[in-house]
Amino acid sequence: MSKPDPDRLLAEIGELVARFAPPGARLGRETELQSDLSIDSVAAMDLVMEIEERYGIDVPVNELADLVTLGDLVDLVARRLGERS
Amino acid sequence: MVQPTPTVNTGLPLRTRGFRTLVEGLEYAALGETGANFYGPRGELERVLPYRELRTRALDFARRLAGLGLPRCERVAVLAETTPEFLALFFACQYAGLVPVPLPLALSIGTHRAHVERLRGMLESSAARVAIGSEAYLAQLEEAAVGTEVGWVGTYDGLAARPPVAGGLAPLGPDEPCYIQYSSGSTSFPRGVLVTQAAITANARAIAEDGLALQPGDRCTSWLPLYHDMGLVGCCLTPVLNQVSVDYIATASFACRPLVWLKVLSASGGTISFAPTFGYELCARRVASRDLSGLDLARWRVAGIGGEMIRPRALAEFAEAFAPAGFDARAFVPSYGLAEATLAVTFAPLGRGVRTDLVELGEAFERRRLALPAGPRAQRTRAFAICGRPMPGYEIEIRDEHGRRLPERRIGRVCIRGPSLMTGYFRSPQATRDVLLEDGWLDTGDMGYLVDGELVVTGRSKDLIIINGRNIWPQDLEWAVERLPGVRPGDVAAFAVTGEDERERIVVVVQCRISDPARQAEFRREVQAVINRQAGTECELVLAPPRSLTYTTSGKLSRAAARANYLSGVIRDVAGNAPSGAQRAAKEAAVAFARVG
Repeated sequence: MSKPDPDRLLAEIGELVARFAPPGARLGRETELQSDLSIDSVAAMDLVMEIEERYGIDVPVNELADLVTLGDLVDLVARRLGERS
Repeated sequence: MVQPTPTVNTGLPLRTRGFRTLVEGLEYAALGETGANFYGPRGELERVLPYRELRTRALDFARRLAGLGLPRCERVAVLAETTPEFLALFFACQYAGLVPVPLPLALSIGTHRAHVERLRGMLESSAARVAIGSEAYLAQLEEAAVGTEVGWVGTYDGLAARPPVAGGLAPLGPDEPCYIQYSSGSTSFPRGVLVTQAAITANARAIAEDGLALQPGDRCTSWLPLYHDMGLVGCCLTPVLNQVSVDYIATASFACRPLVWLKVLSASGGTISFAPTFGYELCARRVASRDLSGLDLARWRVAGIGGEMIRPRALAEFAEAFAPAGFDARAFVPSYGLAEATLAVTFAPLGRGVRTDLVELGEAFERRRLALPAGPRAQRTRAFAICGRPMPGYEIEIRDEHGRRLPERRIGRVCIRGPSLMTGYFRSPQATRDVLLEDGWLDTGDMGYLVDGELVVTGRSKDLIIINGRNIWPQDLEWAVERLPGVRPGDVAAFAVTGEDERERIVVVVQCRISDPARQAEFRREVQAVINRQAGTECELVLAPPRSLTYTTSGKLSRAAARANYLSGVIRDVAGNAPSGAQRAAKEAAVAFARVG
């Protein structure tokens, strides 16, 4: 697989995240998953599963606690995709 | 390809008794072929650790731990990941004469800071001298250890690179401690239960012989965290002490894909598995979208339930959903236990399923604390799960607030006695005195009653709401609200605050994900209506943003924290108008703090 395009990845993951966020929330790299979007632990696990299924990667659980923004999440996915290829 | 450990040892008879320490138990189990198996996020077998190899690896770690030169029984904190390394280190401490302290993992997005604080509290409270985790968690552990007595923070590889001592090891003996368990207490005041070798071996034997009637051919499946008593004692140490093979799934894997639990159990022939009600609930919710073909749950003979109040309705839904896969509702085994008793105290009879006691919630229940069977014309009722009799060697008494023993069907404090009670909370004499009674009994802090000698738990006594002399259990209100669409288990906290007039009133905090004001208002009306139906009284409703509520280390809702945060104004309504309680905060906080503390 070629290197993922960061903007496309942001758009795609933003779409997934939007389903767990309040309607109409604006999503950008700086959007904070917890304080802006109120993604709690149950939603977080559902989101992780969706990302894993969609990209065929494993999201390391130990890194979840350090994810603050949507950008952090996109970077994590990009890194895992890069490691896989 | 890796092969899982066998279910039955070919040449080694199943032995449930005669072990005085964990080390004696592992030495025996290591003579056979059974062991621990670790599965990945999608239920694929990743790593296998026969108990024979667990012993070898534990001995190697033990020699290197001994090289650190710590005095006997010093504490070694270790992040309780579901891995062969954690098991090896836990047993290494046993061989090296050190006391392991399993630490919890953070399983949520963006919780770094709060989690580090929680870890630091435990490192301080246990006065740990060493802290160990995998490479992935090293930075977190180092951060938590700043300013504590921890002198060495490292990884398993770091430990393996240290020089081993040459001489013999002096394992923890029958009269010594075994480990420290953090599962009660808040983040700011963690209380570590000191479990002894005598307690763990007594409890494991009772669980195996009396609770489970263990037989050759039994196999355990677990996704429970190893920093929780039900995961560590029930699904890890008890199996080692009874040579039972275990199939482990990381808790996070279960949280992402709950059905992985049943997939692994089905594929490996699991016969015993435990979970709190919510574990069964998560599976039942997921099943609608999944295909059950290929799932065979017919061999599952002990589907244990414990760890939180048992909710019969959710379990019935699970049984119905998985009956096509061969699940038999009679496999359900309600149980009661707590870390202060090492783990288990009661088991319902095997093969009976969930038997409930239908009680009338009228005047008798709420004012006179009598659990009377509901008659045909009863208007408000509740079905409580019956949790069985105490295991042989254990006793239960229901006592009133003056310590007097109550007869059957009278609700009071659940007090227990038995061979696996803790000797105390580690270095917390006051907290210990609060629960360990002079006559050798432990006050569990739970409320309940006996029916035909079997225990029924009705709630936590310190959370009991008393309105005008009526007892209202917060769980009743919370569960009623949780049944509304869009509300999740754990989203609701009900508690009482005392006003200036010294009268109690009910506050219900609901975590709300609705942002549209009109829908919010509608939701408010729905919740108020439900509370009114359930309690027959008004409440002050606070719709709070998600993450407003906090949980104990074992995942139980902390109503005390919710009340404190409400009174101090930390929990605010999403509508922006501060809850009326906050305005009276100063006076009420003092009252509430005295009650909580």
